[in-house]
Amino acid sequence: MRIETCYFCSSKIYPGHGIQFVRNDCKIFRFCRSKCHRAFKRKKNPRKVRWTKACRKAAGKELAIDPSFEFEKRRNVPVKYSREAWQKTLDAIKKVTEIKERRQDNFVMQRLRKGREVEIQMDVKDVQRNISLIRSPAAGLKERRAKEEEQEAALMDEDLAEEEISYVDARELEKKLEEGATMEDIEMMKA
Amino acid sequence: MGMVQKRKKMHSGDTHLRRRWRVRSRRRDLDQIDEDLRTQSAELINQKVDIDQPGFAQFYCVHCAKYFIDDHAMQAHFRTKVHKRRLKALEMEPYTVEEAERAAGQGSYKAPKKRVMETQPSKEEVKKGKRVLVQEKLEEDEAPKSKRKAQKMET
Repeated sequence: MRIETCYFCSSKIYPGHGIQFVRNDCKIFRFCRSKCHRAFKRKKNPRKVRWTKACRKAAGKELAIDPSFEFEKRRNVPVKYSREAWQKTLDAIKKVTEIKERRQDNFVMQRLRKGREVEIQMDVKDVQRNISLIRSPAAGLKERRAKEEEQEAALMDEDLAEEEISYVDARELEKKLEEGATMEDIEMMKA
Repeated sequence: MGMVQKRKKMHSGDTHLRRRWRVRSRRRDLDQIDEDLRTQSAELINQKVDIDQPGFAQFYCVHCAKYFIDDHAMQAHFRTKVHKRRLKALEMEPYTVEEAERAAGQGSYKAPKKRVMETQPSKEEVKKGKRVLVQEKLEEDEAPKSKRKAQKMET
């Protein structure tokens, strides 16, 4: 008696369950239920169907690479029955299952924790982006404007104090230049 | 009025699809085609005359496992979406029974590798010695993706 694995979803197939398809090149495909068989007939790719084990492992949803997976394997080597070996194997199976389950749970928990971190980051980003909904951008606008105006007024005063514009008639300036006075002289004259 | 009022069908059903899914109309699977590409692509491209096949089995697309009636039809097929989609599907290593078992927890899971897929060479090129090559993809832009996956595995 052997518990087979489903070709499509990788679940267990107990004796008397499921169906198997033998392709004309002697390859055997076993299916746990008609759902998997139908999917196979439709040539669905198990890697792309979300509910299969292959998809979950390929996508990193479950613990995929671990030494604890190396115990259970199709060996195709007959082992002679002995009561002692049987007892030992049973004990070992229990232990291995326990360790495997613990590791798998740990893997899932770590994944979830990472998700929580990402969630917090996303929340922070969300708040930053929509801060205007929490605190109005118009809050304190009046005071800010008053302050700005004050500053501007102060600047204007300074500007006025510094600037002193004098107007010189262009024709007179030309005449003076022709006479031979340099620009410096003119400035001197003004002073 | 004695006329029969025929109900308008809103759904045509999947009978036409079910016919396609029947075992007798089964086409070659992707893993078989992968085997063909790796081992006997040259023989398949240059087949002996077979009167039962379309085009006397002289125009065969290995990737799509399909016979064509002439070269023109085959060249047109190479430009179609169906063919390109098939190339894309064959880029990944085919799914196997072993992979199903590994996914079930019998041995560590191995991620499938990506390969380079190109349309088959013409008959003359095959006669000169060109073959369909199925090589692993070695690209720089693939590396970060796999790295990211590895990190995911660790976490």
